[in-house]
Amino acid sequence: MGANDAALRVKEAISHLKSQNVKDRQLVDVLELSGVLTDAMGHFFSALDETIKDEFVDIAGFIKKARNEIGDLRPKDIKTNRIPSAGEELEAIVADTEIATDKIMQTAEDVLAMDPDSTEDFGMQIQDKMLVIIEACSFQDLTGQRVSKVVNTLKQIEDRISRFAEVMGVDEDEVEITPEEQRRRDLLLNGPAIGGPETAQDDIDAMFAEGPAGQDDIDALFDGDDAEGEEVSQDDIDALFD
Amino acid sequence: MAVDLSMPVLVVDDYKTMIRIIRNLLKQLGFENVEDAADGQEALEKMKNADQKFGLVISDWNMEPMTGYELLREVRADDGLKATPFIMVTAESKTENVVAAKRAGVNNYIVKPFNAATLKSKIAAVIGDF
Repeated sequence: MGANDAALRVKEAISHLKSQNVKDRQLVDVLELSGVLTDAMGHFFSALDETIKDEFVDIAGFIKKARNEIGDLRPKDIKTNRIPSAGEELEAIVADTEIATDKIMQTAEDVLAMDPDSTEDFGMQIQDKMLVIIEACSFQDLTGQRVSKVVNTLKQIEDRISRFAEVMGVDEDEVEITPEEQRRRDLLLNGPAIGGPETAQDDIDAMFAEGPAGQDDIDALFDGDDAEGEEVSQDDIDALFD
Repeated sequence: MAVDLSMPVLVVDDYKTMIRIIRNLLKQLGFENVEDAADGQEALEKMKNADQKFGLVISDWNMEPMTGYELLREVRADDGLKATPFIMVTAESKTENVVAAKRAGVNNYIVKPFNAATLKSKIAAVIGDF
């Protein structure tokens, strides 16, 4: 029974009592007051019912929209085809790289272990070893192609997720930091920089030079694009050289 | 005083290839006694249980479960190990990483990729010429 129906039933019951020709003044007052209250509650619940109904309609619409968007994401395709395929490519890259590196390293170690004085045809053997190294470098062609496939897959997934996030109005600020991400931040696990080290070895050397580092050395560390200085205060720097 | 090239050196890296590269470079530099560990935890255990104290630790930063940064802090907090020379060799090249390592007591810091000359000069800066 809806709230509106309940209010109607109560009102009918009050009307019935009134029609019984009640004489007691106090009871009449109570009945009058109950009638007023029932009317007020009826209006209130009626409005509430409409509000809730509207909310449910909105939620239903949102769920329908989300379902359509999730369908567009094609999660099954991502899970069963694209991610496993990209994973296999990456594993192949690691394996190819490892095999090639091992071959190059082993050959270099063989060369280092050779004694020019006691090795027959030393020059010829060195040339043969160099050819082995050159051949081993051909892995780069294969890994380059594999990397391109993985990059394409990532781009496709990125496009779909970006569109989904945009349609669903996802606010990244509201996303909770996972324990893994927190650990990564706490232990400064940033990984290799793209395009070479973010801080040059010379700048690092300046920090470890004997005696107190000059202000220019310190400033150089925090100049330009290399700097990630927001999280390091002057006090932190000063403490380093106390 | 000349550096004792027979002193044990500990190389810590989760990539066997990198351990092999550093081992080869150290061998070329004359270091004969080189041990390795795959992460900070294994390195710490080796350091605590070693018959002869390590004369030098060369450690990567990014390893699991214990990073080189955590290893450095553990070493510096341990009275028996705190004096061990420690060089960080890592691809972590942000200024905040270098500053944090220096604050934690690292003796020198090398960014990957590096060459033999850089490794030699940093080892010399930390333990003396050899």
